[in-house]
Amino acid sequence: MKRRNFLKLSASACAALAALDLSNKGFFKAASAKASNGKNALPGSLGSKDVPSVCEMCFWRCPIVGKVKDGRLVKIEGNPKSPANGPRVCARGNSGVQLLYDPDRIKYPLKRTGQRGEGKWARISWDEALDEVAHNLHKAKNKYGPHALAYFDHGASAEFMRDIFKTLGTENYTNEPAFFQCVGPAALAYLKTYGYITTGTRQYVDMKNAKAMLLIGTHIGENIHVSHVREFIQGLNNGAKLVVVDPRFSVAAAKADIHLPIRPGTDTALLLAWINFIITEGLYDKEFVERNCSGFDELKKSVKKYTLNWASPICDLPVEDMKRAILLIAKNRPHVSIHPGRHSTWYGKGDTSRHQALAILAALFGAVGVKGGLYFPTPVKKGNLAFGCVKEEPETPDESISEDYYPFASTFGSPTSRIIEATRTGKPYPIRLWGINGVNIIQTIPNPYHTMEAIKKLDFIFCEEILPTETALWSDIVLPGATYLERYDTVYTFDLLTPYLTVRQPVVKPMFEARSSFWIARELAKRAGLKCFNYNDEVEFIEEELKGAGLTLKSLNEKGGLVAYKANPYRDPKKLKVATEDGKIGLAIGDFEDEDLDPIPRFIPTPAPPKGYVRLVYGRSPVHTFSRTMNNKWLHNEIPENCLWLNDKVAQKAGIKDGEEVVLENQDGYRSWPIKVKVTAGIRPDTAYMAHGFGSRSKALTKAYKQGASDQFMITEYEDDPFMGASSHRTNFIRIVKAGQAINLPELCPPPKEIPRFVAKKNRTGGK
Amino acid sequence: MSQLAMVIDLNRCVGCHACAIACRAEWAVPVPYRRNWVKRAGPEKTPKGMSFTFYPGLCNHCDHPMCITVCPVDPEERTFKSKDGKMKKMAVRATFKDPFTGVVLIDKERCIGCGNCVEACPYGARYLNEELDDPKADKCTFCVERLEHNLEPACVRTCISGARIFGDLSDKNSEVYRLVSTKNPLRLTSKEVNIGPNVYYIGKEKDLFLVKKTFAPHERKWENVKAPSRRRVIQAAIKGLTKAI
Repeated sequence: MKRRNFLKLSASACAALAALDLSNKGFFKAASAKASNGKNALPGSLGSKDVPSVCEMCFWRCPIVGKVKDGRLVKIEGNPKSPANGPRVCARGNSGVQLLYDPDRIKYPLKRTGQRGEGKWARISWDEALDEVAHNLHKAKNKYGPHALAYFDHGASAEFMRDIFKTLGTENYTNEPAFFQCVGPAALAYLKTYGYITTGTRQYVDMKNAKAMLLIGTHIGENIHVSHVREFIQGLNNGAKLVVVDPRFSVAAAKADIHLPIRPGTDTALLLAWINFIITEGLYDKEFVERNCSGFDELKKSVKKYTLNWASPICDLPVEDMKRAILLIAKNRPHVSIHPGRHSTWYGKGDTSRHQALAILAALFGAVGVKGGLYFPTPVKKGNLAFGCVKEEPETPDESISEDYYPFASTFGSPTSRIIEATRTGKPYPIRLWGINGVNIIQTIPNPYHTMEAIKKLDFIFCEEILPTETALWSDIVLPGATYLERYDTVYTFDLLTPYLTVRQPVVKPMFEARSSFWIARELAKRAGLKCFNYNDEVEFIEEELKGAGLTLKSLNEKGGLVAYKANPYRDPKKLKVATEDGKIGLAIGDFEDEDLDPIPRFIPTPAPPKGYVRLVYGRSPVHTFSRTMNNKWLHNEIPENCLWLNDKVAQKAGIKDGEEVVLENQDGYRSWPIKVKVTAGIRPDTAYMAHGFGSRSKALTKAYKQGASDQFMITEYEDDPFMGASSHRTNFIRIVKAGQAINLPELCPPPKEIPRFVAKKNRTGGK
Repeated sequence: MSQLAMVIDLNRCVGCHACAIACRAEWAVPVPYRRNWVKRAGPEKTPKGMSFTFYPGLCNHCDHPMCITVCPVDPEERTFKSKDGKMKKMAVRATFKDPFTGVVLIDKERCIGCGNCVEACPYGARYLNEELDDPKADKCTFCVERLEHNLEPACVRTCISGARIFGDLSDKNSEVYRLVSTKNPLRLTSKEVNIGPNVYYIGKEKDLFLVKKTFAPHERKWENVKAPSRRRVIQAAIKGLTKAI
């Protein structure tokens, strides 16, 4: 209908209405769309009841307020009292609402009825579920000894149950993928250099006040930790210069003054050449080094062979660019952020050394304890908890899979890869029971095929989960955990530039039959006959912790659920004393030497892609956490699937178009699920990139299932870091499969002779 | 006349999508509809260097909103009040531009859900909420409801990096005025579509270039809007009648 005709119609309708004398009441007054909660209710989130709590959509754990209306959580905002994030939360933090109300949630305890991995369950009672787990814990322990039990854990939900495994006497009670698949190598390097974990859960680097920053493989902006991103952006906004080293043109690279698209696996070569350069050219802080560092002479001697000319063909970077970048940093010392990195399990051999080199670089610039540099934590005082878990007389295994394999593993627990190997092979001792809490191990640990094979050999496997992930599918008993929005946890303290104390508390009552992690652990301990958990409920121990801070739950909540403190991050460089053995920053690490490991980093090349393949690297999607959030209705709607970044010239030569759906095949013949290709100049020709966590294999995750491809299922080849046993994740290579036909990718930047090519191990062929 | 406006600083934006979700939560916008979005562009070579940037978008509350011209609802006189108590009477359709704030709004009581305005917007900033028994057009309001309570728009409040700056462009002391008048901002327009959007983008030349190239609208969509079907109009009339009686 033409508009003119419509108006005519509208006019005649008006005339008809006029006869009814209703026209002034509004002809087109349609039925009201007002919300059901009455005419006077305020719109949107206005007028809500605000409950302060702590986010756990990722493990940065921003303070939040849950906004509740009529008993329903309608919105989450940052806690305005928080000096770190204020009223802000990221996309994931905003989407916690949809974790809480996800219709796919595990609603009651489940017992497996089909094959492991099949996802067939029967509903059982909490009594039955807990008794079954307790019975099996004892059965496995009595039959095979305490070390036959292993616990994979991550996040706040896992902390209480960890005490049960610890109490039962296994050495495998803390096996955090957070360390062995993520921060382990970097954490160790900094711990030994500076005497504290400069990068672990947190990164103590003062980007907000930096005059220049260096990021190596760190993609802040895609990796979203609110206060960290804020400080990065504040630093840039204040005029800080930025150097980004990354084979990909990341969000951070797009904001950089200098982007160095380095050949993957050669970062240590670049760092050592830079270290040599600033020593030779006298660009380092002599006074600071002399006063505060040990091992300088050994370092100087050791790095002498690493020149920029040597590094150039290895790193595939022009000497001029490398020089320009380090001069930009040197010019601004000591107020420079040499970012310590976070996820550092890249290539196995050399991972700890790479981060040690970064730590050394910061020390040479005197960028420690000063504005803009690395800084020291400000511990926030709180009361100590005494759960009273009495560990039986520890029985050391004849051969430990932790310290006997890797000298520095036991700092963090038992390496996950060793647990999986011991479970698969029964060597050096059998592992027959796994407990899993807060981590989807099949989408987290390299070679998920081995993980699944290991699970088949177990007598018993159980997990506490919120959603029916792959790990839940493979479990015999699934315990439905409460989300962070439905439970208390221990008191949280934040020891970065904006210290605070806050507490997680339930925003709404637990849904379905979900129970808090503390309740589950306490009930399980009781049934297992363990003397553990001296408190009746969470509030009891929270009050005890708060007492140590001079607070009560009531007084804390009266203050808006959060108390902020003054930071003490900086030190007088003339009076600097760090928590290493000799109080000095270690440029050469004796502890490493004692274990026949390199005391000073050296360059160990990681094998180059085989012909026809490119290296697979991965990173984060800004709206997702690991493989945990892909089923979230709101986040799934923002970014439902990942794509494969492929270099434009490579794509053109191989006949692959932007947006085309392909399958990936790795060097062992394993094939991925379909994934769309993003053809871009923003990645090197020898590298392909995808965001981690997609391509769920659990049909019970109705939104995430089969959306995109899983990088984890392409990672079948890994090496362990010789220092602490972390598993490498960037030692795999892919080519493209189109219509069932594998396509070799052209090699546009062949490796120099110093870098050997990857040779496939025999008897490793993947399933199709 | 006042004009509320937003400046989005692409140097600060990291593309985290918090704005899009906070808006969805605040106004219970059902998936897959949007009042507020983040689109990505690049990495791509531009004449000013390689760019990888974002297009955080929302209703532009245009100077010349074409969406309001295609509303078929009979104009009705309405009294508008300014913050400082001024009054103005104006005959408006179910969607209109507030003379005191410059915000383009929808009167949900009068909207017949014909979808004309949705089709007309060259930015795709409106949607027809068909999840309602009685579908209504919906879009960003610059959170005027929150402004009345002295709260900033939901997207501004949650923006983790402070990339969204909101205020009154007619106020020469405002931050938006300062940025718009000094930072040479981009308005997402083209030769074909130049209707005075009031969301401004600032940032590096390469990023503004790529955003404009990728996302500036070229189709004068309002010119292709067909009048709603007879059935729809009659349905709406009956509903109106029932309600009135």
